[in-house]
Amino acid sequence: MSLYVAAFGFGLVSTSVIALAAVGFTMQFGITNMINLAYGEVMIASAYVAYYIDSAGLSIWLAMIGAALFGAVFSFPINRFIYAPFQRRGTALLGMVIVSLAVSLMISNLMLPIVGYFSVSYRERFSSLLRLGPLALTVNQIAIIFLALAVMLAIHALLRYTRLGKAMRATAANPTLARSCGIPTQRVIDVVWLITGALCGLAGVVAALDSDSFTIASGAGFLITALAAAVLGGAGQPYGAMLGAVVIGMVTELSAAAWSPDYKEVVAFAILVLVMVLRPQGLLAKRGALAAAG
Amino acid sequence: MPDQAMLVAENVHRHFEGMRAVDGVSLEVPRGKITGLIGPNGAGKSTFLAVLAGTLPATSGRIEFQGVDITRAPAYRRARMGLVRTFQLPSEFSRLTVLENLLVAAPRNRGDSLWGALLGRRYWIEDEERLVAEARGLLARFGMTAKESEYAGTMSGGQKRLIEIMRALMLHPRCLLLDEPMSGVHPRVVGEIQRYLQALRADGLTILMVEHELHLVEELCDSVFVMAQGKLIGSGTMASLRRQREIVDAYLVG
Amino acid sequence: MNTYYAANLLIFAGVDIIACLALNLQFGVSGIVNFSFIIFQAAGAYAAAILSMPPDSNPDYSFQVYFGGYQLPFPLPWIGGAFAGALLSIPVGLVVLRRLRTDYQAIALLVTSIIANTVINNARPWLNGAAGLALVPQPLQDHVDTSADTYQYLYIGLTAVCVAIVWFVAARIVSSPFGRSLRAMRDHELAATALGKNPVALKTTMFIVGGAIAGLSGAVLVGFLQVWAPSTWLYPETIILFAAVIVGGRGNNVGAILGALLVPVGFEEVTRLLTRLNIGPPNLIPALEWVLIGLFILGFMWFRPEGVRPEPRRVYEGAPDA
Repeated sequence: MSLYVAAFGFGLVSTSVIALAAVGFTMQFGITNMINLAYGEVMIASAYVAYYIDSAGLSIWLAMIGAALFGAVFSFPINRFIYAPFQRRGTALLGMVIVSLAVSLMISNLMLPIVGYFSVSYRERFSSLLRLGPLALTVNQIAIIFLALAVMLAIHALLRYTRLGKAMRATAANPTLARSCGIPTQRVIDVVWLITGALCGLAGVVAALDSDSFTIASGAGFLITALAAAVLGGAGQPYGAMLGAVVIGMVTELSAAAWSPDYKEVVAFAILVLVMVLRPQGLLAKRGALAAAG
Repeated sequence: MPDQAMLVAENVHRHFEGMRAVDGVSLEVPRGKITGLIGPNGAGKSTFLAVLAGTLPATSGRIEFQGVDITRAPAYRRARMGLVRTFQLPSEFSRLTVLENLLVAAPRNRGDSLWGALLGRRYWIEDEERLVAEARGLLARFGMTAKESEYAGTMSGGQKRLIEIMRALMLHPRCLLLDEPMSGVHPRVVGEIQRYLQALRADGLTILMVEHELHLVEELCDSVFVMAQGKLIGSGTMASLRRQREIVDAYLVG
Repeated sequence: MNTYYAANLLIFAGVDIIACLALNLQFGVSGIVNFSFIIFQAAGAYAAAILSMPPDSNPDYSFQVYFGGYQLPFPLPWIGGAFAGALLSIPVGLVVLRRLRTDYQAIALLVTSIIANTVINNARPWLNGAAGLALVPQPLQDHVDTSADTYQYLYIGLTAVCVAIVWFVAARIVSSPFGRSLRAMRDHELAATALGKNPVALKTTMFIVGGAIAGLSGAVLVGFLQVWAPSTWLYPETIILFAAVIVGGRGNNVGAILGALLVPVGFEEVTRLLTRLNIGPPNLIPALEWVLIGLFILGFMWFRPEGVRPEPRRVYEGAPDA
């Protein structure tokens, strides 16, 4: 039983890590209808940036800020100069998948000569355990949970209470209508990609912190897990992504406790495939993700 | 008269995402006649047509074609039974030539299966040549012979309309569901299509036609159904409908 | 040019051609976005391996753990490989071939291939896990001396026969009324349905045909390499094949062959050449190769999405002069 309580604790951590990644990812999907398959690679690249800052002896918080900045600065041009032009041209949905796959391939292989093949990890810190009965988490992990909570609240506040947030929701729902209401949709899209890029960077560091070590190859796993949470919650719905993160975080950790940790990722992947096939619109979405009827 | 009905819809509903696009429509399409389906924009006419054809599933209700319950039959089976639809938006096979568009529709081609394909040209060439001749005949009728080898995607809007109609005709349908067949077509060709449809009616073909141009409806249709907001609000000849106040009001144009 | 190098080049070219012809049938002709393609090649390779290998109780093979081991003679393992590819297509197709956004479909299939790879990688008793299978017997090795040059020529010949068979099947399909129906379904599935075509049946058929051919390509490859591990069939392999079909020209067989020669074969050869010239650190060349493949994909998608050799326009006998 205590095994499951401990798994619950890990589930909270996983949820936090996944939520940070999934919310940014789903917002990119919501505003540009773009499944950004390069998201995982940007996460990893940002994690490496943080790693270099960390190795230089600087504070981990500085490293996180650096990663978030890097993520923002990296993601923005990818949309502006690659995705958007292809979309404007009328490239079909499948074509955009191929484009983003090509971009992700290029990013990961450009990183290779720079960072090398070997796995790296951040400096040991805050690894003292805090116990609450059978629940045992490191300070590191608790910090991650609080960080994720803070970011989720900030996103909520942004979407609900700010003008920018309202503009974002309007643009995502109906860009033409938004434009005719005077909303500068192009600028809104740019800002969204900067914000979600920063989230992506932050998520990358957090995910890397949560693993023992990471390499370039970790990017695919991060991406698919974030994708799974986003699709499960309903593509384009930030609150859905949070819900999806809870489900996937908990289910993967509990399955790891019940069977074997080797298949943790596979469980997340399997959930993604099942959701896509059985309920593509996700849990929260009102709009269908089914093929457009002719 | 029930025994003359080709296509029967009984309390058909089509709800999607909270919207009642088709809200309990019951009607009978009479055999061997051209029937119009008119109504203001957003009335649900195209959706209803799609449900009749099977390209959209009915949420509830019953559909009968020639006495057979087809409510659960998929669209392709309905087409094979002789119930064929055209589309409101251009739906040509853009990377096939005009001739190929017509040939695709033809049902009885021995080469149209995996085994037929593997058995090779000699096996299916006879069927193919027969169908090419038939398709060319149609193209000549509609004045598109010169465009036979052009990509259908490069055709004008009106030409794409024609291709759709010719395609449907290659199937030798019993009942045609036409969704705004004349929109965007050159006036001269409109006349040609009209004459062709009238000739087909004389041969016994049943047609249900969604159309906005009321003068066309008046010329071509023996009777008309009127839909508004997903419901059937009237039926009869155009003349009798004009006398009904609600119809005129609902429609906004006389 | 020594025989082994020639054999390597020609056999890999043959395998890539077979794979690209299959993918073109699925994607280029029928519009099925099979992003899990590589698992069908893998299924064929594994099947051919376990059908031709002795059981793992055999003292020479006991360092591996796997099921099967029927020691069947050639050509049964290769036929079994094609069969395995076809068989795997059924559950995968049933699950994914429904009316779904094309990008969702593509991603679901991509992730399926990643799941399969991870599972096989971790489940040691099935197919020897991450280490994979080794010492796979070569076709006809009991009758011909495999170390001699003549065996290389024999293998090239066998590969060529397979290419010819696949080409025959693909050509017949594409030039037939059946192929025309497939292309129509690709161009506008809804309209094809309204004209009496059953999209599920058509897609399932082509999924299985493509799967069988992919399986055959795996069998041919494993017989030559004699090893097969999860690292051989990671998801980027599918992307290379897609790049090949896009670059070469989708919807037509010549385009598929061209794509196979330009992308997987072309890049392999360039890599080999550059590695021998010792430019830069050892891992730089393959990494740059991938970057180039990505650039190629983007370039072609932007400037020439129809590929180097586009789908030809069919003009029928007796057509009026333009």
